[in-house]
Amino acid sequence: MIWLELAIIRRAMIGCALTGFLTGLIGVFVVRMRLTSIGYSMSHGAFAGAALGVAVSANPLSTSILFSAVTALLIGPVADKARLSQDTITSIAFPLNMALAFIFLALSPQIGLSSEVASVLWGSVISISNSDILYLAILCITASILIHFFWKELFTIMFDRRLAEADGINTKPFVYLMIFLIGIVITLSIKLVGGLLVFALLFNTASTTLQFLQDMKKIVLFSPIAGSAMCVSGLVASLAFDLPVGSCIVLVSTIAFAVSILLSPKRKRKEVKESS
Amino acid sequence: MDGRDGKIIRVENVSTTYEGEKRPAIRGVNLALENGELVYLVGPNAAGKTTLLETINGLQPVSKGEVSVLGLDVRGHGSVVRKEIGYVPQDFMVEALEPYTALDVAMMGRYAKMGVLRRPEKEDFKKAMEALGLLGVEELACKPVGKLSGGQQQKVMISRALAKEPKVLLLDEPFSNLDPSSRQEVSALVCRLNEERKMATIVVTHDIRQIPERCRRIVVMNGGRIVADESPEKALAALESCQNIGAEEAVP
Ligand SMILES: Nc1ncnc2c1ncn2[C@@H]1O[C@H](COP(=O)(O)OP(=O)(O)OP(=O)(O)O)[C@@H](O)[C@H]1O
Ligand SMILES: [Mg+2]
Repeated sequence: MIWLELAIIRRAMIGCALTGFLTGLIGVFVVRMRLTSIGYSMSHGAFAGAALGVAVSANPLSTSILFSAVTALLIGPVADKARLSQDTITSIAFPLNMALAFIFLALSPQIGLSSEVASVLWGSVISISNSDILYLAILCITASILIHFFWKELFTIMFDRRLAEADGINTKPFVYLMIFLIGIVITLSIKLVGGLLVFALLFNTASTTLQFLQDMKKIVLFSPIAGSAMCVSGLVASLAFDLPVGSCIVLVSTIAFAVSILLSPKRKRKEVKESS
Repeated sequence: MDGRDGKIIRVENVSTTYEGEKRPAIRGVNLALENGELVYLVGPNAAGKTTLLETINGLQPVSKGEVSVLGLDVRGHGSVVRKEIGYVPQDFMVEALEPYTALDVAMMGRYAKMGVLRRPEKEDFKKAMEALGLLGVEELACKPVGKLSGGQQQKVMISRALAKEPKVLLLDEPFSNLDPSSRQEVSALVCRLNEERKMATIVVTHDIRQIPERCRRIVVMNGGRIVADESPEKALAALESCQNIGAEEAVP
């Protein structure tokens, strides 16, 4: 029994470290390429998809990939042309995806908050399987390789997409590649963190790192490490206090962000400017 | 890689309409530049100068007519053409906290031309530093661009365009944030490089006193059309008259 638990905890640790790495890495691009609203909507799309998977007893992984892809396809071109404001897009997509998710959860065959439903809502440590770990590891490697090879294009697009386009970089494939990665990262993270909170991981770590560092390369190298650290500490807190793991991770990362704002060298400089 | 009859930029009867707008921002524009030609583009606000530059580099889709650069239609070869165009947009400002140094920005000028999957080499860094040096901002290379003054940022943006070693240079009010002596210097630099590197160059400006001797051709735009395309003396008279008309119209 003890051995089984140890195995579960070890798997959860690895899962957390990999999830933190991925969300920290991809989060930098979400924030810098101004993909926050599309990422936000996709994460709730993935949540609705996972709920559907539970409802019809299908693999939640595939249904949530499907839903986040559909969300991206529906709002991607709209966001691309910027005919609607980002606020409008998220304000409409968020409640829609939530409504769908709750309908699917209400229709799910199990009575009450079964462990599967709970895992979709706020994540669970137990549900992480060996194959999840394998997918996460493969995704970590793939994402790192892609970012390494396309670094100079991504770097230029993150500075200013229009200017990159004016330079002759065809920006669309790179932006779509990022959106695609965001979708997969979200989907694979849902089991652990839960659909309601997964976006916080993408946003908090990267924003925290961006507060501290002023060199894009260092930011991209450091953010995944910070992400892993936050997720593992969140897991430890959740085991210690017997609280949902997703909530603990989000709390840790929010505290880190708050502290970073208070301590950030950028912030200090700003205050000096304002007071002078 | 020249266009037909040696014209490096050829704009034929072009209209450009912004998405969602009914009236085209520029209408029936004809313009052709030879290799190494230097043209100043002037005209009142909203005349369509920026729109024309962005139509030439294909950032704004052509709704009527034809634009070719280096003999290639920008509609089909936009990103190929843009690799040979150095563009400095109007009023491009970087936020204070952006994590990019001046050298990073100058290096970006090299990246697109290099091609996907190729890594920057020593040569590229040398070219980027040289470009910063031309504008006299090489000692700012390692500073975050967002923390530079408006004029310094403008110089970095010009360096970025020059680091690319383009065949065509499009500058949209590149002197707007510069002090008088810097204006003089940068304007002289543009002239010198235009001559040395044989870049076809279009410079948009509101400061007609700044137009150098070397420039023998001024294009005046008003209300989305080219109203004069002549030697400086005649063109400036045309500019004056369209400014007068503008002033009369403003009085109801
Ligand atoms: N993004 C846009 N969407 C719709 N209309 C636009 C847009 N940008 C410019 N316009 C319109 O196109 C016309 C030409 O604008 P443009 O920016 O080319 O003028 P300009 O000559 O560069 O003026 P300025 O001297 O102020 O820079 C204007 O009437 C303007 O209102
Ligand atoms: Mg303009």
